Amino acid sequence: MNPIGLAAGLAAFLGIWLGHVAVRKIEASSPSLLLPATVIVFTGVLMEWAAMTARSTLVSAATGILGMTLLWDALELFRQERRVQRGHAPANPANPRHRRMLESDRSQATTCDLLKRDPLGRPTGPEEAIRAVER
Amino acid sequence: MNTYGLIAGLGSLLVIGLGFPLVIHGERIFGYVCWPYLMGLGILVMAASAAVSSSWVSMALGVVGATLVWGSTELKEQAVRAELGWFPFRKHKVKVPFADIIQRWKAPHL
Repeated sequence: MNPIGLAAGLAAFLGIWLGHVAVRKIEASSPSLLLPATVIVFTGVLMEWAAMTARSTLVSAATGILGMTLLWDALELFRQERRVQRGHAPANPANPRHRRMLESDRSQATTCDLLKRDPLGRPTGPEEAIRAVER
Repeated sequence: MNTYGLIAGLGSLLVIGLGFPLVIHGERIFGYVCWPYLMGLGILVMAASAAVSSSWVSMALGVVGATLVWGSTELKEQAVRAELGWFPFRKHKVKVPFADIIQRWKAPHL
């Protein structure tokens, strides 16, 4: 049995999952994105360094994959901010950066998480979309 | 210097990137009810990775399998995105086997 595929798969799955959750949480709570993005890039580079110095192929694969997903997550922080601006992800009124979006006329930001529901099987207009989430 | 992990990481980014159109088109064509098939396929591909002796092929299969499993958990949210008009909505879906039964299950989301 070759454990490398399972280790690589696990690293990829956990990297995507944790990144997915962490990006949303950090973007929503942090007043500035530059500091968390810098920390994430630094950690990602450190992981890649570990991957390149590792003697074990298994460790090299796991750290290489986790490191790359971390580097991508740093970019995702800014993409998530754009989603909030477009109302595709909920804004946090307690975050000054999000509060400015909510108060701006040019932004479509909303505190409503429009994705937090089951599919209805038909196109939903803006009002029905909000009702569907509140239900 | 060991470049295996670095290449594995770069390859994973590519595979994960290909997961996005897979989820978008999979949902548009088959609907989110195809999630158990995608999840099952992902688990099979991951299991197959253990039976391959080449470390490159095994790693690639592991990452592809994990991406398929992840994609299966994204289908429900993608269906809602299409309903909201963020992606083109296609009413007519190709019916997958046991679609009526799957519809009664709670689709996974992480």
